[in-house]
Amino acid sequence: MNSRSGRSNGVSPLASLQPIDASPFHRPSNPFFVWGSLLFVWVVSLLPWRVWQPTPDILLLVLAFWCLHEPRRVGLFTAFILGLLMDVHDSEFLGLHALNYLLVAYGAIVLRRRLEHFSALVQALHMLPVFVVAATVAGLLGTWLNGAWAGWDWLWSALITAVLWPLADILLFLPQRRLDDADVNAV
Amino acid sequence: MQEHGTLRLFKRGPSVDVRLFLLLVISLALLVVDARSTLLAPVREALAVAIYPFQRVALAPRDAMDYIDRWTNAAALARDEQDALRRQHIEMAQLSTHAAQLAAENEQLRRLLNISEEISQHSIAVEVFYAPPNIFSHRLVFNKGERAGIQPGMPVIDEGGVVGQVIRVTPYSSEAALLIDDQVSIPVQVLRNGLRLIAFGSNEVGKLEVRYLTASADVREGDTLVTSGIGGLFPAGLPVGRVEKVDRDPGTGFAMAVAQPLSHPERYRHFLVLKVDVGDTAQPASEAPHE
Repeated sequence: MNSRSGRSNGVSPLASLQPIDASPFHRPSNPFFVWGSLLFVWVVSLLPWRVWQPTPDILLLVLAFWCLHEPRRVGLFTAFILGLLMDVHDSEFLGLHALNYLLVAYGAIVLRRRLEHFSALVQALHMLPVFVVAATVAGLLGTWLNGAWAGWDWLWSALITAVLWPLADILLFLPQRRLDDADVNAV
Repeated sequence: MQEHGTLRLFKRGPSVDVRLFLLLVISLALLVVDARSTLLAPVREALAVAIYPFQRVALAPRDAMDYIDRWTNAAALARDEQDALRRQHIEMAQLSTHAAQLAAENEQLRRLLNISEEISQHSIAVEVFYAPPNIFSHRLVFNKGERAGIQPGMPVIDEGGVVGQVIRVTPYSSEAALLIDDQVSIPVQVLRNGLRLIAFGSNEVGKLEVRYLTASADVREGDTLVTSGIGGLFPAGLPVGRVEKVDRDPGTGFAMAVAQPLSHPERYRHFLVLKVDVGDTAQPASEAPHE
């Protein structure tokens, strides 16, 4: 206790040194957490709350998030399968959600190198056009196949999904942040 | 930190772009095939069966809340229901004697005409499982399926009349297209004069359209449309809708009527599926590929 307070009072000259890189270590997330979070948001997406069109697609959000941060585990194939499952649940034409999810997953994987070290806000700004473009492609295909225009509400959905990105960043990196805190306390 | 993919000594499967291309092609192929034919029905059914337990789990809290709510309100509900039933009972007593008379008379006439077909319908009570959040169509998914004897093509009714038609079944659930779904068409007739027509789902939300009328057709506002029984899927005489307005276009010589459905799929959770003989050849109207 004493030694600790002595150190933190800045007696040691070492205290004035600043770390070169203050950003937390990037360590891979726990695979159970990755798959568990995907399973959780998928099950939540089965609830009837998406009847209102501008509802954000949280499954797509979490999927894109893991495509960006854990591309080795979560990738295009996961996106495709989850999309198909959503198509069956929503009784859409098979492949409509799958296409949307695929395009977003691809966007996240392509942007990964650039976005990895940016803040969540900048990531959200970069992901917004990805969500919008993917939703537009899927929306236009749906319009063509159904022969009816669906209105503009899906655009809101894409927008709100992108806005929620920082929140996803906070929640999905929570286990790692706690680990980092534990490290700090251990010193 | 070891950057994923920077040090790639060995090739690990196809690149992201190739995978994207392949999966995109697969999705597009699925989309087009699913929109134009019923070839993918088994795939959809298999996936639906696979996700069924998860749907049940997801909706379990809602069902539990429902149960608790009903349980706590049971006394009040029972009282209300009893009052309503008593009223109904008095009203029905008169009707039933009348119906018994008619049935006897009908029986006699049928014997005279040598018609021996069975007219009573068996039915299955179903409950809404969930309503798919799909903007393009108006559907309901029920909690019973093939196991309970439901088959595609069977009509769904509530106390107001026809609600829709079952279009897909899995062993444990079934999906019905509502009357207002623009892929559904149903043979109807005007109750007042027996004029036979076809009603379609409308672009206007929650309405039915009767198209292909000649401008001189005798359809008026307030006319009740009932099923005509033509086509064999819907039994005759079920109420379908009430005509709200008739647009006559003297230019083309055709008219179009807009009707309000008499059933209320949005109000209730329980419906009846009529076990009609759908046969093997009868395809539900809504499954017909549209242009």
